[in-house]
Formats: sequence, structure tokens, C-alpha cells
Amino acid sequence: MASRRAVSERDRTPAAKVALRLAEVRKVFGTLEAIKNISVEVADGEFISLLGPSGCGKSTLLMMITGLTQPTSGELVLAGSPISGPRNDVGVVFQSPVLLPWRTVIDNVLFPIELLRLPRAQYLDRAMELLKMTKLEDFAGALPRQLSGGMRQRASICRALIHDPSTLLMDEPFSALDAITRDDMAVELLRIWQANRKTVIFVTHSIREAAFLSDRVLVMGRRPATIIDEVRIDLPRPRQIGMTEEEGFNKYVRHLRKSIEASHVS
Amino acid sequence: MLAKLKTSVKNSAWPLGMTFLLLAAWEAAVRLMHIRSIVLPPPSEVVEVMVSRYDLLLDHLWPSLYLTILGFALSVVGGIIVAVLITYSEIVRKGFYPMIVVSQVIPKVSIAPLFIVWFGTGTMSSLLLAFLIAFFPMTINAAMGFQSVDEDIDKMARTFMGSRWQIFWKIRLPNALPYIFGGMKISITLAIIGVIVSEFVASQQGIGYLIKLAGGLLDTALMLGAITILSIAGLMLYGLISVAEKRAVYWQAPIDALETKL
Repeated sequence: MASRRAVSERDRTPAAKVALRLAEVRKVFGTLEAIKNISVEVADGEFISLLGPSGCGKSTLLMMITGLTQPTSGELVLAGSPISGPRNDVGVVFQSPVLLPWRTVIDNVLFPIELLRLPRAQYLDRAMELLKMTKLEDFAGALPRQLSGGMRQRASICRALIHDPSTLLMDEPFSALDAITRDDMAVELLRIWQANRKTVIFVTHSIREAAFLSDRVLVMGRRPATIIDEVRIDLPRPRQIGMTEEEGFNKYVRHLRKSIEASHVS
Repeated sequence: MLAKLKTSVKNSAWPLGMTFLLLAAWEAAVRLMHIRSIVLPPPSEVVEVMVSRYDLLLDHLWPSLYLTILGFALSVVGGIIVAVLITYSEIVRKGFYPMIVVSQVIPKVSIAPLFIVWFGTGTMSSLLLAFLIAFFPMTINAAMGFQSVDEDIDKMARTFMGSRWQIFWKIRLPNALPYIFGGMKISITLAIIGVIVSEFVASQQGIGYLIKLAGGLLDTALMLGAITILSIAGLMLYGLISVAEKRAVYWQAPIDALETKL
């Protein structure tokens, strides 16, 4: 309990180290300007959500942070070095779990270790630990098709964390799940985050999800995408799902909804 | 294990029973209607010939079987290599792939006499025809398998710094396995056709030659015996591939619906 408090306090100190910096990032596809002039600083260990309607360019922005796509102009700096391609201090969780169907759960979790040419034996314990944390330890030897949707996505979160990256990028990871599983996963994710202290960039189009999870929500407007609002969520941690019933939480939800609606009108 | 055996017996009971019924009807029809043996011998006579002349049948079965397996193996190796080229070389994909697809329309059997002209009446012609016929479905299936990798899986591997080489061995190849086995099942049947047809056209041995020879002698029972033993051999080859497929592609059900309960 004490250590959790320490984390949340550390996050709130304004002097926290900058983990990720986007400076005037712009992306043009042909004649279409997808992203216009986005500048953001994310503190080390901060949980940030990119909230916006579908197709607003938030996934494109996330793909630029993974290094898979390059910005047309502007700069992305992670942990002090410019992002020029995929790197080993980032873990990515996609919308679908994208597990390899021929690999067992544990082998899927260890897949990045193989790709990064790290010694598998040294990460085996960590893999088991992650599976235990996500309550998947009994399924280590199971194939993905034997798992439920929520379990698969939890396995893919383990995979993203296996090489102990400093930053976790999540691209609408819960959007394919049913509402109940989705709430469970949000609570679970916060638990993992508090135990691991990663910087998290979480893309979502769910207002409640963004408000519940984040330290800060960046609201993105549509075409070209810019950040139209920035909301700091000052709710105590650790957060429980019951909080979403309370007025303090709903105040943020209303505010975020208004911001998004405003972007539709303009 | 026992339950598995039970269901497999249950599943094969119907087709086996029906086969037996049809054979019995055939036997009865031939005997009751006094059909001449040259036209249609009863199954009992076919079995009798197969037993009494098993050495002749086997003598001709081996060369056919040998060429079939060799032609099939070549088509699998060649097909996979060409499929890799199709996947990774734009020139091959854009220039040759459409050609390969269009050439599927040519009835390959019609090329058999041409092969005789080029490669003589020996085993070379049989082997090449078997290879050629079996090669196309193999290539197309394997190419489809290599290329049908989910876009997000590819993306995932690249975010974890996977190289092209790693993505091929760890993703594209296993992804293609079910397709490759699907292709192999088609190819093995086609390889048999290729060998038999070339033996029809020009050969001094093989089951195709024996069928033609027996036809010339109006020995219908021997013809049917040769066809039966060929079918059994073909079924066994197909079965072997199915068994290998179940072991190799343990994570999913076989792709084609032809899967028989062997």
C-alpha cells in the first residue's frame, strides 16, 4: 500500500522527468493532412490517454511513436533519443491480441525475447511472473484458441511487458471485448501499471475508459487531428470501478464529452 | 483413446457398409443377368485375379509409386521455393504469378505426348509430367499461405524489431503450413494422374502400362484389379499426408473438406 502511494505522488510532481516528447508532429498522406502540429510532453511513469472519435488519427500518432511510421515533419523523442524506428524500450498492445495461434501462451509471451535475440532462459521466470499477475499461470501451456477474448488480450499485455520496456503503447486494446470484461481489464491494467511503473500511452474512443485510467487525457479532434483539450484527472489511486458511479468521476466524463462534441461542430 | 476409436468406427461404419452393399449388388447383378466377364467381371473375380497375380500387379505398382512420390516431392520443394520467390520478389509476383495462374487452365495431360517427343519414352517423361501437374496447386497454395499473414501480426513483429528473416521463419512459414498441406493433398492425387497418363502414352512398365495392356487383351478383371490396387496406393499416400498434417498443423482443423476419416 505504501509503495502505491509513493508511485502516485511521484507522478504528480511537476518536476518529473520527461519520458516522451512530441514537437510539432505533422503527418500528411498524399494530399490529406492527417495530423497537424501536435506537441506533447509525457512524464516518466505517467498514464496518458489519447481520446477521440474513430478515424481521427490517434492510431496514426501511436504508430509514429512505435517507429513503424515516420512523421512528415516534427520530432518524436523517447527517453532522450529521437524515434527513428522500432526500438527495444517500447512494448505495444494492439486492438486485437495478435497472438500466434501455433504457439502456446508462454511462447507467445516470450516471442519478443526471441525477436530481440535475448536469452530466453533468463526471461522464463519473468514470463511466468507476468502470467501469474494476469491470472494466466494455469494457461501457460495452452494454445490461444483455448482462451477467451479477455484472456488473450491479457496474454498480449504480458507479451508487451516481457522485455521490461519503459513505455507501453496501447491501441484501443479493449475495444473488441464485451462491456463487463472491459471494466475488469481496465482495473487489471491499472494494477499492472502500478506494479510496473511504465509510461503508458493509451489510445481509446471510450470517454469513461480514458477518465478512469489516466493521469491526463488528451482529446483529439478530427481531420486534421490536433489536440483540442487536455484534462488532468485528479482522482485518487488506486482506483476502483465503483468510482465510476461517483460525481467526482462523472464531472470529468461530462467535461470530456463536451470537448469531443465541440470538435464535431467545428 | 477408446472414445476416439469408437467415434472413428462409428464414422466409418456408414461408408464401409454402403461400399459392401454396392459390391454385393454388383456381384448379384452380374450373376443374375449373366453379364459376360469381359464386359463386367464380378468383384469376386477381380479379387481372385488380384490374389493370383499379385506379383505382376506389384511389379508394375512399384515403378508407378516410385515416380509418383519422386514427382510429388519435387513439386513440393519446387512449389515452396517458387512461392517464396513470389512472396518476396516483385518481378516474380507481378510477372510470373499471373502466368502460373493462367497456365492452370491448360489441361496438363495434353502435354504428355509433347514430353515423349522431348524426353523419350523412359521414366523421365513420367517424372516430369507428374512434377508439372502437381507443381501448380502446390505453388499457389504455398504462396497464398506465405502472403496471408495477418497485417497486425506483421506489425506486431516489426514493433518488436523482428527482421524479415525472423518474420519469415517464425511467422510466414508456420502460417503457410496449413495451406502447404492443403496443396500437398491435391498434388499427390495429381502426381498419380501424371504418372499413369504418361504410362498410357508410352512406357513398358507401371500400372498405367498394365491397365492399357490388360485392356488390349480384353482382360477386364486384371484391369479392374490394377485400378483397385492403384486406388489403394493413392488412398494410403493421401492418408499419410493427412496424418502428417494433423501432427504438423496441431493448432487448427484441416483446411479442405475432403478430409476423410481414415
